[in-house]
Amino acid sequence: MCDQTFLAIVFGPCDKCSKEKPLRAIYIKSEQLNYCSLCVEMMATEGLHENETLASLKSEAESLKGRLEEERAKLHDVELHQVAERVEALGQFVMKTRRTLKGHGNKVLCMDWCKDKRRIVSSSQDGKVIVWDSFTTNKEHAVTMPCTWVMACAYAPSGCAIACGGLDNKCSVYPLTFDKNENMAAKKKSVAMHTNYLSACSFTNSDMQILTASGDGTCALWDVESGQLLQSFHGHGADVLCLDLAPSETGNTFVSGGCDKKAMVWDMRSGQCIQSFETHESDINSVRYYPSGDAFASGSDDATCRLYDLRADREVAIYSKESIIFGASSVDFSLSGRLLFGGYNDYTINVWDVLKGSRVSILFGHENRVSTLRVSPDGTAFCSGSWDHTLRIWA
Amino acid sequence: MKEIMSNNNTTNISQARKAVEQLKMEAYMDRIKVSKAAADLLAYCDAHIGEDPLIIPVPASENPFREKKFFCTIL
Repeated sequence: MCDQTFLAIVFGPCDKCSKEKPLRAIYIKSEQLNYCSLCVEMMATEGLHENETLASLKSEAESLKGRLEEERAKLHDVELHQVAERVEALGQFVMKTRRTLKGHGNKVLCMDWCKDKRRIVSSSQDGKVIVWDSFTTNKEHAVTMPCTWVMACAYAPSGCAIACGGLDNKCSVYPLTFDKNENMAAKKKSVAMHTNYLSACSFTNSDMQILTASGDGTCALWDVESGQLLQSFHGHGADVLCLDLAPSETGNTFVSGGCDKKAMVWDMRSGQCIQSFETHESDINSVRYYPSGDAFASGSDDATCRLYDLRADREVAIYSKESIIFGASSVDFSLSGRLLFGGYNDYTINVWDVLKGSRVSILFGHENRVSTLRVSPDGTAFCSGSWDHTLRIWA
Repeated sequence: MKEIMSNNNTTNISQARKAVEQLKMEAYMDRIKVSKAAADLLAYCDAHIGEDPLIIPVPASENPFREKKFFCTIL
């Protein structure tokens, strides 16, 4: 996993037993002591309470898990779609492809909107990252990354920079400049360093911090200017595939989903996992907060999308159909949160009524799997990127 | 050999302890009823559905993607 420390072996007298042995530095109340490995073991076991063994801890964990389920079940008095029965059904939807962005030479893997509701950044398997003007379909900037499979890209809130990364295990920030003489790649700044591929990245509320998720099973918060690691988030048991920041201005949480089928909600300041949800049956490819910040949706390889409420601490809706057997790669909410758009590996986009749990519409157009999907910041349209090398804007 | 075994044990024990602490924290958190949570989600939807351009379409002239204006300029 992420934390690798290299021990320099020092030989000398142990601070505890005074024998000459290979020493390990340990810290007790911020004081550094050098103990031999035998004394380290003894110290660790001293912390155990009577009769506390690995087995007893494991059984305590099991009973706590059982208790957690009980507590959650106690509050499960009604289903969301039952409460939503009194809500008016939605009318017919006419959503068509309004723009097709062509230009990538290979599978489009990720895209993001700029806050100006107009510009889009997208990245693809061949290492190209392109910034488009979605109104005119013109390409404004293009940069070639030194690696292939650029799986993550993000637009800075100011609109002046983009971040991207992938198989290079890094997240790099490129300032956007309109100066024709400047080479964008020259101003590149490497911010994040992981020990495995970068699967997702996102700027926080400012251009100064970036949150990243990686195949090494961790998420991390970085300072862009110095490249310093501010906080790391450990807890996933496998690759982390996606993340999303909570929408509120003061919010300090984010949710991440991974190959261990878990979605975890983290506190950005302490690095602690606050809540975790494990009801999916396969990898979670995408997570997105509900606009109010009280819930989030997830899309998974098990062909379902699910809605989890954070205050009720449980899954409250499943969006699935027997006819849908391909995984959902990407999900996003409409502005009001009433619609959930899901891009699937069977080349379609399914539109779900979030409250009633039913499918409202199915959109065809892409000629290969839909890999990424985002609604524009003002909700007037959404953009989908696909392995068919194109991006489509729907409205 | 025994030292290596006990090394594994220490890591496993500390991992197991962390898992127990985490579960304790999760099990004792404050939760609300699903009916209340669902009602809040409904309320949010109701409040914002009027502003959602994908549900209540704005006139084509105001939606930059739906209007038929051409953005090309002759150079």
